[in-house]
This record gives sequence, structure tokens and C-alpha cells, in this order.
Amino acid sequence: MTTMLRSFALLALISTPLAYAQQSAPAVGGAGIQRETKIVPIASGRWTGPRLPDGQPDVQGHWSNTIANHNNWTDPQGGIPGDPSPRARPLGPRDQRAPSRVSDPPDGELPFQPWARTQQQEFLEYFHNPVKEQYIEPLARCAPAGVPKSFTWHGYEIRQYPNYVLILFNSGTRIIHLDGKPHLPDGIKLWNADSRGRWEGNTLIVDVTNNNAKARLARTGEFFSENARIEERYVFDNNGQRYNYVATITDPAVFTRPWTTTIPARRYSEKDTPDGWHFETALANTTDGRPLTERYERICVENNGPFGNVAVLSK
Amino acid sequence: MRAIQFLAALAVSLPMAFAQAAGPKIPRLANGKPDFSGIWQTTSAAEYDLEPHSGRADAPPGAGVVAGNVIPYLPEALEQRKKNFAARGELDPRLKCWTLGTPRGIYYPEPFQIFQRDRDLTVVFQFGQSVRTIHTNGTLHPQVTDNEFWLGDSRGHWEGDTLVVDVRDFTEETWLDRSGNFHSTQLHVVERWKFLDENTIDYQATIEDPKVFSRPWTLGVILHRHREKNFQLIENYCFTLGYDKYYPVPKGE
Repeated sequence: MTTMLRSFALLALISTPLAYAQQSAPAVGGAGIQRETKIVPIASGRWTGPRLPDGQPDVQGHWSNTIANHNNWTDPQGGIPGDPSPRARPLGPRDQRAPSRVSDPPDGELPFQPWARTQQQEFLEYFHNPVKEQYIEPLARCAPAGVPKSFTWHGYEIRQYPNYVLILFNSGTRIIHLDGKPHLPDGIKLWNADSRGRWEGNTLIVDVTNNNAKARLARTGEFFSENARIEERYVFDNNGQRYNYVATITDPAVFTRPWTTTIPARRYSEKDTPDGWHFETALANTTDGRPLTERYERICVENNGPFGNVAVLSK
Repeated sequence: MRAIQFLAALAVSLPMAFAQAAGPKIPRLANGKPDFSGIWQTTSAAEYDLEPHSGRADAPPGAGVVAGNVIPYLPEALEQRKKNFAARGELDPRLKCWTLGTPRGIYYPEPFQIFQRDRDLTVVFQFGQSVRTIHTNGTLHPQVTDNEFWLGDSRGHWEGDTLVVDVRDFTEETWLDRSGNFHSTQLHVVERWKFLDENTIDYQATIEDPKVFSRPWTLGVILHRHREKNFQLIENYCFTLGYDKYYPVPKGE
């Protein structure tokens, strides 16, 4: 198994498309990233779906974004600008692809200050030719994808408990505290930041601070600083099948104004077939034949899981 | 009317009260099973060396946590263990912040948190932020037998108030402590988790590995609940430290 994974990691190094299937068996015919082209708004309001005994809306289970992966933040299905490898399909008109993940400002662009735009462009310029260590995306070295990039990277599982929401990502884990305890002291900076949440109707509202801001938002190089404050709103549809992740990032050191991102997601369940990307699960070995989804451990660096675009295996 | 409600409530709660009278008062889930939710850590020196040892440069002294004091290695495996010990400063997987494995993660000197539902316990380790799921829903180990998990595949059941967990399907890459005690892919661990009181867990693990040990052996540590105000895990993705320096956050003038 270990040998197989190492071989696979090596393969992933030389073959960018396969890199999507990191840490899992590649799906037949490619990873099959979802490519819905619309983001359907979901209104905040009452929750009429099932609840847990502690009163939280029950949103436990497996979820994944519906429009693309982490290649490009503002043109999610547009690929990585400057990509030297040929496209699998021609890039059609912009309006036939999913909109920008930036839902405010209306132009779909991050309101970078000029110096910060230059920094983002520099990362993108060298992404395909990382002449310095800093141009290798940290995720490719198994670093956690962080907030908010994790929501565009593989499927993930939400588990809920009194006072906690736990999100188990492909790369990293978030513990969201619902008990009102204060944030960690400012000096502590974390890949997955520090999260304090509360429920209002169908919406989980999470205040995110203490971000180490190293993860970048996408391969296109968008970033914010360690002092960014993020208000996340996870707005769940009462049918239990969809939610929108709507996060407002406030960071006067980098942006000219706060901006908002929207990432749509759908539920995966026993009715879906595991696909090695959005839905990385196995069927449990049950004694009564009932289908029951479970998740295996996620191990990256130990299994030599770094991938793609000149990632470094040993560091 | 109120009196009748009171009596009815008493009638419902009495059997539970009697059932619990025999043991310590402990937290329980709504289904009556012990609730191990919380943040836990050992104060033992198990991580440094499971066997009795005097103090040395890289370990405080410890009386050992192995029943009978000695780990029953097969002769060839004992030679390997000696080599591991000699090279422990370079070879211990923990030095790379790799997932510690089972049971080592439990007695490593950093906190871990248990989140518990009827169907499972989720164990999140601060060190490396590894996540282990212990299934308690009657499911069996996967039928696939060549899985090599860093934390093993954990299936638990309840024997009274004791959680008994059968763990198999291991990689051979992890060590049992930082002194070089090790195992093969044939490792089989049976854990027993039991409250001593509401803030203390008696943890025992029986270790079996026919390629490495001549017979099963048992280790035991006590786990203490973190009760400091607002205590929480602080993620420790220490495997990123080697390249952390390449990612300064860009700053303007």
C-alpha cells in the first residue's frame, strides 16, 4: 500500500491532471470535478429541517463544492492562467462558466490595494515555473488548505456535537467552538485559524481570527494578511441537500474594502458513488447489509502525498 | 397533578440511578453509555520509554507502563529495537511530526480531544492534528485486508461501562514510543477505556504482533481531563515547520 501510494505520488508529480486524486484511488476517467455553472442563492431564515438533541440544525454528513476546484478563485472553471499543459476542453465564453467566487464587489474581483495585486500576480506568474520555494503552493506540500480554500478542495465531512461543529477536510481539520469562549490570543497564528460560531435559524455564523494567512486562496495566488477577520455564514437549504458558504473578509492592510465570497456546496450520501474527489468514502462493513458511508483517515505527508507542479516530496 | 408527574419521573429515573450506583458518577450520553467527550492527556512518562528506565539526556525517568515491565520481543525483533534505540535521535517518526499511531498518540504528551456520538468517537490529536474515528455502531473491520492505516481501523463495543476497541490494519511505519519500540503491519491492539471518576480515564492497550512479540502484552496509562478555563486544542501541524519559512505573508510598504 505504501509503495503503491509512493508510486502514485510520483505519477502525480509528472501528470498534473492526476494530482486531483491525491491520497485516493484515481476515479476511472479522471476525477470528475463538478462543473455546475450557476450559484443558486439560499436565503437566511428559519430552519425547518431535522435538529440534533441540543437544538442545532442537523447538517452532518459529506459535502463538496459544486463548481470547480482551487485552480482559479475568480474564474473557477477558467483553469490556471499561463498553464503550459493543453486544456482538456476549449475555454468557451466567460458567461458560460461559473461566476467568480467573489460575490461582492459586483465585478467579481478582489479589491486588492495596488501593492497586493502585484504580489498576487507575481505568485501566479511563477506558479508554473516556481523558481523560488515561495511559489510552490503550500497545499502541494501537504499543508492544510486553510480558510476559505478548504471549501474548494475535495469533499469534506461535517460532524456535530454539543458546543462544536467539526469539519474534516481532505487536508486539515477545523474545530468550530459554539460555546462562546473567547478567541485565542492574537499572537497565535494557525493554518486553519480560530473559529467561534453560533446558529441563527438555518445559518451557522462563524467568526474566524488567528489565521496564519500562508495558505493562499487558490493557485491564482490571492491572499490576505494575518490580521484578516472573516465572518463565515454557512446558509443551509431546508431540503438538507445544499448550502452556500458566504464569507466576508475584512483586512484593511490588503484590501480597499471588505469583500465577500460565495462557494456553493451539495450533500453527498449513500445514493452517490464514491468518486475519489468530492466523495472520498467507503461503505462500512455492516452485518445487516444496510449501506453506511464512512470515512478513512486522511494522511498526506507520511504517505508521500505531496503532489503536482514541482512539489517537493521530502520537505 | 404535579405530584403524579413527579412520581412518574421518579419511576423512569430510578432504574438508571440504581444501575449507576455501583460505579463512580460519570458523564453519560443520552443512550446511557459513558461519555468520554473532553480534552485528555497523560502525565506519565510512557512516551519516552514504555519500559522502566532511569533518567537520561532525552527522557525523564519512568517506572514503565508495561504489565510485567518487559516487552516480550522475539530475538530478531529485539535486535531491531536495540538499533532503533541507538538511532532514536534520527529515526523516530515523531521528529518529522508524522502521525503517531495507536496507541502512541494516546500517551504522547500533548492533549487530544474526544468528540462522541452514538455511532462513533472522533479523536483529534493536537500533535499533527491527526483524526482517528472509533466506530461504535456495530460495523466490522473492512473486508479489504491490505489497508495500512497510520492510526489503524478502530471498531469499538461496550462491555458494561468499558469501551473495548479492536484496532487492526496498520502501517509498520509508526513507533510505540520515542525509545524505538516498534511493531509490524501485523499489529493488533485491543484498547479498554474506562472512567475511574468523571475526570479520569483508565486506559489499557493489549498489544499483539506475531512478527515482533512472542506473546500479547499490556500497557496502561491514566488520562486526565483538561479543566483549565477555556482550554482548547491549538492546532499543531508541525510537519509544516520545515517549509513554513518560505511563506511569509506579503506586506505592503
